[in-house]
This record gives sequence, structure tokens and C-alpha cells, in this order.
Amino acid sequence: MSEVAKKLRQTILAISHKSGRGHIPTSFSVVEILLAVYNKIRHRPVEPLWDGRDIFILSKGHGALAHYTVLAEHGYFPAEDIFNLGRLNSRFGCHADRLKVPGVEASTGSLGHGIGLAVGMALAAKIRKSQRRVYVLVGDGESNEGSVWEAVLVALNRRLDNLTIIYDDNRSHSRGLQIIDPASNFRGFGCQVFEVDGHDIDAIKDALGIPTDSVKVIIARTEKGHGCRTLVENPYEWHGKIPDAKEYTMLMEELDATTV
Amino acid sequence: MRQQFKKTIMDLAGHDEQIVLLFGDVSVYLFKEFKEQAPDRFYNLGICENTMVSVAAGLSSQGFLPYVHSITPFITERCLEQIKLDICYNRFPCTIISCGATFDYAYDGASHHCHNDLAILRLLPGMEVIQPGSRKELDLLLRTRHGSGSPAYFRLSDYPHELDLPVAFGRGTVVLDTGSQATVVTAGPILGNIVEACSDLPVNIIYFTTLKPFDAELIARYSHTRFIVIHDAFGLHEAVTSCGVTASYHGLPDTFLDCYGRVGDIRQRLALDPAGIRNAVTAFAGEL
Repeated sequence: MSEVAKKLRQTILAISHKSGRGHIPTSFSVVEILLAVYNKIRHRPVEPLWDGRDIFILSKGHGALAHYTVLAEHGYFPAEDIFNLGRLNSRFGCHADRLKVPGVEASTGSLGHGIGLAVGMALAAKIRKSQRRVYVLVGDGESNEGSVWEAVLVALNRRLDNLTIIYDDNRSHSRGLQIIDPASNFRGFGCQVFEVDGHDIDAIKDALGIPTDSVKVIIARTEKGHGCRTLVENPYEWHGKIPDAKEYTMLMEELDATTV
Repeated sequence: MRQQFKKTIMDLAGHDEQIVLLFGDVSVYLFKEFKEQAPDRFYNLGICENTMVSVAAGLSSQGFLPYVHSITPFITERCLEQIKLDICYNRFPCTIISCGATFDYAYDGASHHCHNDLAILRLLPGMEVIQPGSRKELDLLLRTRHGSGSPAYFRLSDYPHELDLPVAFGRGTVVLDTGSQATVVTAGPILGNIVEACSDLPVNIIYFTTLKPFDAELIARYSHTRFIVIHDAFGLHEAVTSCGVTASYHGLPDTFLDCYGRVGDIRQRLALDPAGIRNAVTAFAGEL
């Protein structure tokens, strides 16, 4: 685990413990993906609406806490602000509001919406003949929603080679409707698919950089709760659970023990 | 009305390159000319209304002015959450244009009937809800709201009325004022039947093309009278009573229709034909 990924996980734990809000395991599964994306895309934290920017959409909106910490790491706002997560007058909710948080391009939460929005944004870039690229992170559980696959069909039909779908394959839905072989599913639709270790920032960046002539899909194999053994072993119990003081210390110790 | 929709949009699109049309595999042939003139602003996305609305919102986020079109139940009830979140909550304004109002497709059965669209879309924050009754009203209202920055829903019917009335967005229209203590309130194409049924009766008739924002001032002007809402949908009655008045409702039952036929047949069955409306209004006025 990289130093920055570990630091952001510590921040996520601290925010969740202090605020009493947040989805820790799902946030832990996407930290490296978000770090890789924001390292790769064109964006200006001091000018979030810069016209030359690429766009990132967090379709699995419950990963917002990880998104906030990565945006803060890039200077969109101070990380201290996030500690008010979920409070009455906070800018930061457990699902992000684009009108409140700089750098957030769409308010998401209900699953299966962000990818359709991303397809519309990518289509807009094509119509304008813009170089803008659009990246969208969808979850494996989210992909139970039919609208995810509708959006993929439309993206392929419109030949949106400026769209990259990153699929967080954290196996979060093994107790429900788990998609067993998402790479085959996306390939079957006609996407160009790349599979990577979703906790290897360099591998994700490499996959993001590969040019394609169709919709690109990156299957990021991740672990829900990555970095804390307790979270990895009990992802359902911890999906929306907030650590008390003892658990917070325990999770921090587990995280500290992770090799950097 | 769909012909008028095409005519008005083509005219608007001639002056505004931000217009993008999205179709759910409906009315596509009708817009052939538009497609030929502006292929990069015409998209038949297929039969995926949920995604069509999300895509429209995505286009809106990038500065385009999307118009989304399909059959009423599919582009309103089926994709309600996409309209609520992707368009309204995100404030990515789009215009939804439906066809096949209420029982236009009576012969297709209940899957193609739609009478809740106006009522449910009225509940979405920021959404404008418009039911033009005639081609001329559609033309005027569409031009008025184009580029307004607000999400809007237009409900089109294949059976418009032929009356020529002075309408305006957000305002009701007094069709008949007899000084009566009974006021008939209506919206959309059914006005034609109401005027035919009631023009010689001692009642007032007030007419709305906009269910949201709703002209509460006009209701207030007649609040000394008793109201009967006659409407072949839900939504108008709720709008009227939200003004703090009570109103009777003559319209749809709380049941699926278990028959086919044409819109005229259904209106007759539900006493929404001129004869049925006349009976209902006469009885209502007689109670005063």
C-alpha cells in the first residue's frame, strides 16, 4: 500500500469515527482507483470548472468519503472540512452533492444513475468535438441495476471511445446477485476490457493510459475494506458501521501494520 | 400535436444549436427531416427510457438543451427516479415531451394508458408541468419555456381541442364567466368536451395549461364559488385543492380500465364525453 493510500485510509477512519457517518469498507476498496484517476485526468483543483478538464463521476455514490479525501489531497478543499460529514450544515454528505462540493461533477447515491449521466457527458464531448474524456466508477453490486447495462449499450452504440468505465470488483454482492465474470460480460457487449489489481496505483494508471477505439472498461479487482483485516473479513457487518473508540484504535493498528 | 412539436422544435433548432433531441424509438420517422438537417443533434437511443433521461441530464450538464421524447407512461412513470435525481436534484434541466396522453392509446390496454404522470411530476421540486390542449397552445408554451433553465414536462395528445384561447405559461384562462356560484375547472384537450357540454349552462369555466407553477390567483378569484374539477387525469384536482379550496372531482376511477376501444369510447364509458359531462355539471350545479 502506498504512503498516500494509507494516509487517506487513516483520514477516512478518523472522519467516520468522529462524525459517526460514512461507508468505510467500500471507501477503502476504491482509494487507489481514485488516486490513479485524479493523477491521470486533466483537472485544476483551483479552477474546478476549468473548461479543459476531464470528468470523473462516482456512480457508486456511497464511496463519497474516499472521493472527498482524494479531492482534498489534491487541494480542492481542506481535509479538515470533511470531519463535519453528515452534519446539518455540512457541505459533505454520505453521498455527495455536486452543488456543495468542488470537484464533484454529479450528485449520486441511488445506484445505476451515474453511468448514464457519464454517457451523456461523453456524448456531449463528441458533439462538441472536444478532447474531454469521461471516467465513471461503478460498483459490482451497483451493476445489478439494469440501467448500468442500458448505459453500456448506448455508449457502445454511440461509439464513445472517450468513455472509461472503471468497475470496482470488490465482490460486495457475493451474498446476493454477484456478477461472476464481469470481464466476459463487458467483452460480450463489445467493450475493450482490461483487468488490473485495483490496489495497484501504477497498474490502474497504465490501464487508464491505454488508447482504445471503443468504450474502455477497467475491471479493478479490489477488496472491500482493504487495509484492515477486520473490515475485509466482515464486510457486511461493517458496510455502514461506525467504529467506537476501541474499534477505531483496533482498525488504526491494523492499518498501521499494513506494509507500505 | 406531434406534428406541431416537430414544427416548433425545428424552428427553434434553426436558431439554437444547443438543442439535442433524444427519442425512445418513438416518433423517429416523423423527425426524419430534423435528423437529415442536424444528425449530430438527433439521437434515437432505443428503448431504454431510464438511460435516455440520464443521458439527457448528462448532455444538459455540458450546456446542451435536451428534449426527450417517448410514450407517456414510459417517459414519466418508468423513469421517475432518473427524472427526480438526474434532472431535478442535479439541476441539469431537460424538457420531457410525451405523447399518448391518458387514453390516446386506449386500444393498447392499461400498459399504454397514463393518468398519473401530471400528478407525480408535479411533486418533483423545480419541475414545470404543462398540458397544452391544442396545437397553438403547444407552440406558444414550448417557445415560451425554451431555454428557461428549468426542467419541464409537456404532455402531448393526439386529440387536441380546436378552441382558440389566450393562454400563457403559469396562468389560467377564464373561458366562461356567467357569474354563477358553480365553477368548472379543467386542463388540456378535454376542454373541448366541456365547452360543448356546458356553454349554455349557468356555470363558469376556467382552464389551465400549466399545472405547475399553478395559477392560484385565478382560483382565489373564484373562491366564493364551488369548484368541480373535470379532468381525464390526476394532478389538476390536487393542484386546485392545494390552493386551500375544496373541489369535487369528475374524472377517473381508482382502477385500471378493463376495456379497449378508442379514446372517445373510453370518455363515454367514464362520463367524460359531452353528454356525461353535462349530466355531471348539471347535477353539481343543481346541488347549490
